[in-house]
Amino acid sequence: MGTVEEYTEPPADSRLERGVHYLWQNRLAYLLIAPAAIFLLSVVGWPIFETFRLSLYRSPADAAIETYVGFQHYVEILNSDIFYQLLWQTGRWVLLGVAGKTLLGLLIAVHLRGDIRGRKFFRTAFLIPWGIPYAISAVVFRWIEHPQYGYLNAILLKLGVIDQGMGILGSPDIAWLGVVVADVWIGTPFMAIIFLAGLQSIPEELYEAAAIDGAEKWHQFRYITLPQLKSVILIATLLSTIWTFVSFDVIWTMTGGGPINTTATLVIWIYQVGLENGNLGRGAAYSVIGFLFLMAFAVIYLRIYTRGGDEL
Amino acid sequence: MTMAGQQRSRLRKVRIYGVLIALLGIMMFPFYTMFSSTFKPESEIFSSPATLFPNDPSIEAYLAVWGQTDVLLWIGNSFIISLGTVALTLLLAIPAAYSCARNEFVGKRSFLLSVLVVQMFAPVVLIVGLFDVITSFGIYNSYLAVIIPAAAFTLPFNVWMLYGYFQTIPVSLEESARIDGASQLQILTKIVLPLTKPALVASVTYTFLYAWNRLLFVLTFLTDAGKYNIPRGVFSMVGALQTDWRMMLTVSVIGIIPLLILFAFLEEYIVAGMTAGAVKE
Repeated sequence: MGTVEEYTEPPADSRLERGVHYLWQNRLAYLLIAPAAIFLLSVVGWPIFETFRLSLYRSPADAAIETYVGFQHYVEILNSDIFYQLLWQTGRWVLLGVAGKTLLGLLIAVHLRGDIRGRKFFRTAFLIPWGIPYAISAVVFRWIEHPQYGYLNAILLKLGVIDQGMGILGSPDIAWLGVVVADVWIGTPFMAIIFLAGLQSIPEELYEAAAIDGAEKWHQFRYITLPQLKSVILIATLLSTIWTFVSFDVIWTMTGGGPINTTATLVIWIYQVGLENGNLGRGAAYSVIGFLFLMAFAVIYLRIYTRGGDEL
Repeated sequence: MTMAGQQRSRLRKVRIYGVLIALLGIMMFPFYTMFSSTFKPESEIFSSPATLFPNDPSIEAYLAVWGQTDVLLWIGNSFIISLGTVALTLLLAIPAAYSCARNEFVGKRSFLLSVLVVQMFAPVVLIVGLFDVITSFGIYNSYLAVIIPAAAFTLPFNVWMLYGYFQTIPVSLEESARIDGASQLQILTKIVLPLTKPALVASVTYTFLYAWNRLLFVLTFLTDAGKYNIPRGVFSMVGALQTDWRMMLTVSVIGIIPLLILFAFLEEYIVAGMTAGAVKE
């Protein structure tokens, strides 16, 4: 390949010539990444550019009559009540979701660690909720939470917790909780698998030594497991934060953002405004705000991921 | 070990399995509601409050579903979309990952980093711009309108996965083949790729699952009901004025069976793929 070949020609005198020569010398390397690079530029790069451009236009469903409005969308968004409602609901959604997935995932992982008979079976079974279509999980949870025919109501009635069926997803007060539960169920397996892999790389001797010292289970967890697992937890919760932030299919299938927008998050609103209502410009402006959040997450992620610089 | 110690460790075992089975019960409960509902006759499924066990189990729903819904069509479309995405992604990812693993060149680091950033860019945040672009490509309402974005968003994982794996394959193997006069393409297909099988299986599984499971692209870029995949089909049933829960849950069960088979055989590769990025040695 390019770098292996000996370079014998005299150095080209102009910068451009040297550049062209360098490209030519490494032509195979560039040729091989070109399809992927061009593809990503057109399918991801171009839409990013389009989103920024559209956010400066008032653009009803018919794109032919779009008019330039500058930053008007942003001004209107920042002055609207719904925006702050969305921020609060998105924050609630992400925080509760990530916390739930992390705690449940840890609980599963610490119990799967060690000498467990049938670990492969357990691991596969715990994995399934993660790997099936979100829309299917969402309808199943709609079914569980169904006001008349749902299993949840049936169980709660049997246990005497409630005395008549309640409609969770139809209630502006608790619908968000009904959706969070489904999202936690979907997202927990990933956390459990990652934590389990992290746990298995902790040297067994640490626990043996602690056991000899008579350390309690909780102390082992607090002083060995947690510190050893720190970086894995950091990466996993950050990834989970990003995925929960952009989670669309579950909310859209369960409630569509309703009732009265109480389950809408920022990304639900992007879809609602930009595509359902056909207001591309306004939807694009919400998307740019979404970009800013993702950029912040991405910067943190890249920081952690490339720490030590040995990855690239 | 002392008697008391043995007893303690046995108690510990019991406690661990107890917790595991309880957790498994919680995680499996939604599946239970799904499966048990599909075995109830129509009169029972719409009884309130719900019966936790079918009183009179029947496979009626599984006989009726083929005629009453388009489940076969949706499964077929799911396969077309998933396999198309896998093919396109690999076609783009393999050369790029190989090039990065074997060469040092200006722009490599930025290429790999920007690929990682694409991974962060969730499609839903881009959906408005993507809608514009897909329409400009003139592929709106075709399978390609779903395959192309799905390939773009699975490409990062595939490039990084294969890039990491290619690096572990000794260059010496390729050099001896080159001395024997093999071309670059022959070396890649005959020597490198067969050695890359574990990473390829992980890549294919990840990409297949991604394309099979996502609703967003089909919802946005396909309006032709004849091209719906499983998630979109299920979504169309729940969106209907009167949801036929029994048929919808039966479709859901059928829609996840191919995935359960995939899990049973490829669980280790899936886990390897999931942990590849997050757990550093």
